[in-house]
Amino acid sequence: MAATKGQSISVSLASATCALLGGVTPAAVQAQEEPGWDFNTSLLYYGEDADRVQDLSISVLATRTFMDDRALTMGLTVDALTGATPNGGQYQAVPQTFTSPSGNAVFTVPAGTLALDDSFRDTRVAVSANWTQPFSRLYTFDAGLSASKEYDYMHLGANAKISRDFNQRNTTVSAGFAYAADSLNPVGGTPTPLTPMADVGDLSNRIGDQDKDVVDFVVGVTQVISRNLVVQANYSFSDSSGYLNDPYKIVSLVDGITGDVVPRTPAPGLQGPSHEYVFESRPDQRTKHSLYGQAKYYMNGKVLDASYRYMTDDWDIDSHTVDLRFRWPVGERSYFEPHLRYYTQTEANFYQVGLVDSVPLPMYASSDYRLGNFDAITAGLKYGWTTRNDNDMSVRLELYQQRGSIPADRLIGSQVGLFEYPDLDAVILQFSYRFGR
Amino acid sequence: MKIFVLVASLLVTAGCSSMGVEPWDRDVLAKDEMQLTTDALEAATDDHIYFSKEASSGGRGFGGGGCGCN
Repeated sequence: MAATKGQSISVSLASATCALLGGVTPAAVQAQEEPGWDFNTSLLYYGEDADRVQDLSISVLATRTFMDDRALTMGLTVDALTGATPNGGQYQAVPQTFTSPSGNAVFTVPAGTLALDDSFRDTRVAVSANWTQPFSRLYTFDAGLSASKEYDYMHLGANAKISRDFNQRNTTVSAGFAYAADSLNPVGGTPTPLTPMADVGDLSNRIGDQDKDVVDFVVGVTQVISRNLVVQANYSFSDSSGYLNDPYKIVSLVDGITGDVVPRTPAPGLQGPSHEYVFESRPDQRTKHSLYGQAKYYMNGKVLDASYRYMTDDWDIDSHTVDLRFRWPVGERSYFEPHLRYYTQTEANFYQVGLVDSVPLPMYASSDYRLGNFDAITAGLKYGWTTRNDNDMSVRLELYQQRGSIPADRLIGSQVGLFEYPDLDAVILQFSYRFGR
Repeated sequence: MKIFVLVASLLVTAGCSSMGVEPWDRDVLAKDEMQLTTDALEAATDDHIYFSKEASSGGRGFGGGGCGCN
């Protein structure tokens, strides 16, 4: 009995010592960021061909690291957007006139060309703040707020994430939640879905401001496989509800035999659309599920970053995204990084080239090219270097290309010869400068 | 919280526990270029561009958004 007691005391003493050492040792060996500021800045030009959307954007991400790996990150982005965007109207062999979104002017597109609305001009300001707080040795808690404002749109969001390390920090499991409350106040008012585009000055089908709520959940595991390989897998769920339309997008009403857009005459003395168009209508709810996997592999100084994402939603859109980056050092202080991304999506079940005017309209319809069936490729090259003051600079140039299609049996009459998917070619040029570390 | 820890523990015991490296073998994994997100600003830029032009978003993190993107 005495021996047992003696043993148990020595065991207790030993474990107490271990616990003390255990409590101290990890903090001593654990890599800690030096407290201080880190600024990540960038200047971006995004330009689409054929005078479509052009964006000049400036961003700053400032991180203040404190003792014990606590950190405050604040972000600011300002976008200046101009250019034309497809409004959804289908190709016609004759010129087409549309009423602009504001409802107080018209614009005409030439025969046989893509219906582009060039009245688009906007400035977007986005801010964010995020706090990172490690606790109980193995946990990290992150919480953040975000807001952005455009002329016709406002976003407010909050998010939180908790992570826990396992297996000597070789495994990290995390779970996050985000909520966004967005509101839209489109130029000229929100059009009632499926109502006709009206003459100039007629705003009778416009309703007030609209709301959209988005709830996101993400759970993920990050796993160190070996000294050179780390992988991550995430599942995310996203639910959007409220007004999910693009208030500026329309659908053409077409003749069921000829496929031509039905002509229309504006009221006497008024300017207005030359053909029949209705405002698009999307469901007021959308649920998305995504699976994401990423691997980073180090090979003698070179780093391969490969990721894949599968997404499916209840609008019948399925997509696959493969992203590959390869960082290739050149000397001690610079590197090249080629980037290749492939994306493919199936169309939403309410995507339409046009709606036949002789049958009752469906509940949902959109001709937004972003809801159609298309593939996209991004190919780019980045060059990065460390300056004499040990700051990081990089410049990247990328080309983004979308090519879409619609099955021939979905086209009627003149659509067969005239339909063209609003394919997209864009340039991404970004200059980044990171300093303060 | 309890459910989270339980699910996390199950996931971990399911097969991850035999993988990984010792703390003193983390030299490579600690490098900037081996972080899952190397450049947060570039990642945010890309997420925003593709959110605006495609029908998918998120995956790596939250779904993004916050714009009436045209």
